[in-house]
Amino acid sequence: MISLINIIDVGLGNIRSIEHWIGRSNLDCKRVFKIEDFTNNAIIIPGVASAGEYMHRLVDLGLDREIIRRSNQGQKIIGICLGFQILTNYSEEDGGIECLGIIKGSANYLDNNIIHNGWDSFYFDIRELQNNFYRKRKKIVAGRVYFNHELRVNIECDSYSKKLVNNITSFAIKDNIFGFQFHPEKSQRTGQELLELII
Amino acid sequence: MSFRVGSTVLIDFSGNAVQSYNFNTKRILGKLRQVLKFLDAYEVDEIHVIVPYKGKNNNRSLQIFSDLSNISISTPLGIGGGITMENIEIIAQDPFFERCIFNSAIFYDTQLLKKVKSLMGHQSLVASMPFIIKNNDLMVYNSMDDNFKLIKKEVWKEINNNFNEIILLDAASEGSKGGFNFKVFDYIEFPNDRVLISGGLTKSDIRKAKNMDLAGVSIDNFALHSEYSIKGLR
Repeated sequence: MISLINIIDVGLGNIRSIEHWIGRSNLDCKRVFKIEDFTNNAIIIPGVASAGEYMHRLVDLGLDREIIRRSNQGQKIIGICLGFQILTNYSEEDGGIECLGIIKGSANYLDNNIIHNGWDSFYFDIRELQNNFYRKRKKIVAGRVYFNHELRVNIECDSYSKKLVNNITSFAIKDNIFGFQFHPEKSQRTGQELLELII
Repeated sequence: MSFRVGSTVLIDFSGNAVQSYNFNTKRILGKLRQVLKFLDAYEVDEIHVIVPYKGKNNNRSLQIFSDLSNISISTPLGIGGGITMENIEIIAQDPFFERCIFNSAIFYDTQLLKKVKSLMGHQSLVASMPFIIKNNDLMVYNSMDDNFKLIKKEVWKEINNNFNEIILLDAASEGSKGGFNFKVFDYIEFPNDRVLISGGLTKSDIRKAKNMDLAGVSIDNFALHSEYSIKGLR
């Protein structure tokens, strides 16, 4: 029996949108409020929150250490937007905050106080992953994806990553860790195909 | 970054999507669920759902937003109208949307904006600014007073600090194809690439908005009637 996909719920983030996203692909998920709630399936850390408050709540609930422990054991972690940014060691948001450190790097404000909202193109061929253990019929997802952020992730370790023309890391994959700066749950067909490819 | 073509949907207190003309007359379009599903199928770039209210909100918005949360759509969503200090914790606790849209808070409630920033991030904050130009002054609608108010120069600094983007709605042309009043750009002090425009938009207005490197447009009645092809406008 396939276990449920975990969505971290610390009372922040667009959890409902993530549930809808998963539901549209006929997959099942559950919210994780405490350590005992985790299953062995993928763990999704949603976006639409600020790093300071989000990390504060994760630490308070002890979920930070549990996510790190499970990531070290090879459990799939999917960070979306803010969820991607806090996979790094440090975020500049809210005056600076220590993050999970699952991917070596940091989240920094975009240069010259610019913002990045809207749609950009996306292309991902899963066969390009070095440790490709995916056995899916569909190999490529291409289309457009939705961004809404003011910080970008700077990765300081080897990973499979794609950048946009303005040097924003669109997404990064390191072994069992997936980070998406865009919102696949709100990226219409492309987001749906991506979910079905990586889960 | 591509030019965005979004759509604004107004909801009445019964939860119906309504069409607005001249910032006043409302006509029921149908159930909100159906309207959102249509827009999602059209693949508009984003949807703004607004509960237009005047004066103090009676928390009806909270119920409307709660009902809305069960609608599964894959298009980015912003909500506005009736988000207050009293209900923001509840609204931000389980969002089905990505952005919050504010009007009266522009004038009064920086504490509320700070709270939203701490819960949802600065990128989620959008200002809705219905405007008219009267006697060579820019007047912006304030829903709390149900009136258009003169925007002082110093307010723009606050708007720049507090908001990720603004939506300029030409109230005089709303609901028509009368043309958007681009003269508003003589008055605003906000980066063009963080501005969306709405109200009275014609196809040539949309081309002009693109040429000005605006963030995008929000079309309402015409998107809902499929009078414009969304893909063609991008």
